[in-house]
Amino acid sequence: MRSRSGSARAIVRLALVLAAAPLLAAPGLAVPVTTPQGPVEVAVRGDLIDILALLRLTGAEVGYAPAAGSFTATLGDFEVQFTPGGSLAVADGRLLTLPGPLRQIGDSVFGSFGTASALLTPLGWSLAGSPAAPVLDRTVSRERLILTVVRAEGGVMVVVGGTTRRPRVSTAAGAVTLQFTVPIELGAPLPHAEELRGAEVAGDAITLRLAPDQEVASTYTLEDPPRFVIRLQKVQPVTGVVQQPHGPVVVIDPGHGGEDLGAQSASGAAEKDIVLAVARATAARLQAAGITARLTRERDEAIGLGERTAMANRLQAVAFVSIHVNASPARSARGAETYFMSANASDTQAAQSAARENVGASEDAVQLILWDLAYVANLNASARLARTIQERLNALQDIKDRGVRQAPFVVLTGATMPAALVELGFISNPEEAVRLQTAETQDQLAAALAEAIAEFVRTPGADAAATPAGTP
Amino acid sequence: MSWVVLGLAMAALGCGRRAAAPAAVATPVAARPGTSTLVLFFVGEQGRLRRESREVAELPAATQARVRLVLDELLGGSRSGLASPMPWAVTVQAVFADRAGNVFVDLSAPPQPSVAGTSAELAFVYSIVNSVVANCPGVAGVQLLIGGKEVATVGNIDLRRPLAPNLDVVEP
Repeated sequence: MRSRSGSARAIVRLALVLAAAPLLAAPGLAVPVTTPQGPVEVAVRGDLIDILALLRLTGAEVGYAPAAGSFTATLGDFEVQFTPGGSLAVADGRLLTLPGPLRQIGDSVFGSFGTASALLTPLGWSLAGSPAAPVLDRTVSRERLILTVVRAEGGVMVVVGGTTRRPRVSTAAGAVTLQFTVPIELGAPLPHAEELRGAEVAGDAITLRLAPDQEVASTYTLEDPPRFVIRLQKVQPVTGVVQQPHGPVVVIDPGHGGEDLGAQSASGAAEKDIVLAVARATAARLQAAGITARLTRERDEAIGLGERTAMANRLQAVAFVSIHVNASPARSARGAETYFMSANASDTQAAQSAARENVGASEDAVQLILWDLAYVANLNASARLARTIQERLNALQDIKDRGVRQAPFVVLTGATMPAALVELGFISNPEEAVRLQTAETQDQLAAALAEAIAEFVRTPGADAAATPAGTP
Repeated sequence: MSWVVLGLAMAALGCGRRAAAPAAVATPVAARPGTSTLVLFFVGEQGRLRRESREVAELPAATQARVRLVLDELLGGSRSGLASPMPWAVTVQAVFADRAGNVFVDLSAPPQPSVAGTSAELAFVYSIVNSVVANCPGVAGVQLLIGGKEVATVGNIDLRRPLAPNLDVVEP
């Protein structure tokens, strides 16, 4: 990836900068920076150091776009963009959150030692030493992983911190390997846990050896700070039979809940209450029709978006329907609409990736192809599910048909079965808000949803998804 | 000229099944010399996005500067009485662009943690994404950052990666 084609020019530029730098530094307002070519004075202001000077010392070309107010440092094929006054940067398409803000002072940009280091790293340079005696050198960086073990209901989670990079995961009998794109090391000893037998680091990969009765249930990422989580579970007996003793299961998801009220009417009616009532009634009607229906929440409680689809995946549901009530800045907006996952390429990629992670699918090439095929089949089936729901809703009186649409909803990402999100009406529309709160309307909506879901479940289309062999 | 680019960009980058529909792109109107014609997306009466064209001083070629000016116009509001898609007093804190055609727009943080209502959220997200892609040649996707951070969502729309324009939420 890294091109060194411009390295000769960079060295010449570095030499010129090194020669000129001592003349530019003001006495008493500079620190000596150790570079591969020798010490160079770089301006400081209190705890802040001249970041543009440091970048130029690496040989990077630094440009300024006045209209955008941003700087771009380019070194070979690598590029970093940053804006004074902010604490964000983009490095080769990756977003960086800097440890501190960037300040423009005169013609240069100053930042903390850590901020300077964060901007230099993507260019292949490091800033070590101390703020009083920095050492600027080419990087042979190793990311220091911090592993912690968290026990939770249903298994143990190994949380990998210390890196923003998302590894490729591969599993083998008794082991899971995380492949990063940079060299890594363990920043602390592996925590003691009976589920883990050890860890081996080799270059940019770490392999965790698992106890014989353990296997990877799923992997996922957490934000703020970025962490990668491996959820372990006891090895499940392979039966070769889909575990659905009571026939097909559908998962009904009443949106929002707990502190998340969802949209509200002018009078204070909350989306979370309306959709829970409709979801309960829908589930009851499905049960009466002989279809097992599970709710993602039975009461007024907060459930994460990812948890909702994860539950459907765990239950191997044949359909997932998330129920919502709409709102818009346009008060006259009214009607029902149904969504399924966007077909946009990046959304599809994200959904496929999430789906694989949710079921703990391996990165085996054949398995991935099977998952891709299953995903496309599910997308077609999701469209059919959404159409069926919308058609049933359209048959109700006083429902304006807003059609079937696509968008990248988090709650639909990662579903390994046909999934749709239905908006029953607009709580922001005064008339619809009143109607949505009546038991009669809620029952009509539930009946329409239950009929649609039952029709979908009982009428397999040509889109029926082929679940990859070997997955649970 | 800019309309030709706009049309091609929206046709090529629009959501899959709508991408081939030329009717989804506004009728080309030649801008006067020294001016540019912008297409911005505001909220129509039924909650979907509606295009609004306006003539502005010629836009800069540089992507980041161009994105900022487009967003300034969008955040300044509709000139034809359409509703604003912005759920709070949004300001643009920073704009970044990478070489792959993605733009990262850092918006000021909202007073509330989320945007209520799918239509409201879709209007907010895609008024920005569609407006930027429609008016900035070379931009294929837009990732929204909130308060200087990457966010998963402000409601239910996945904001963890750059989004392509979505014509499914635009009035035909």
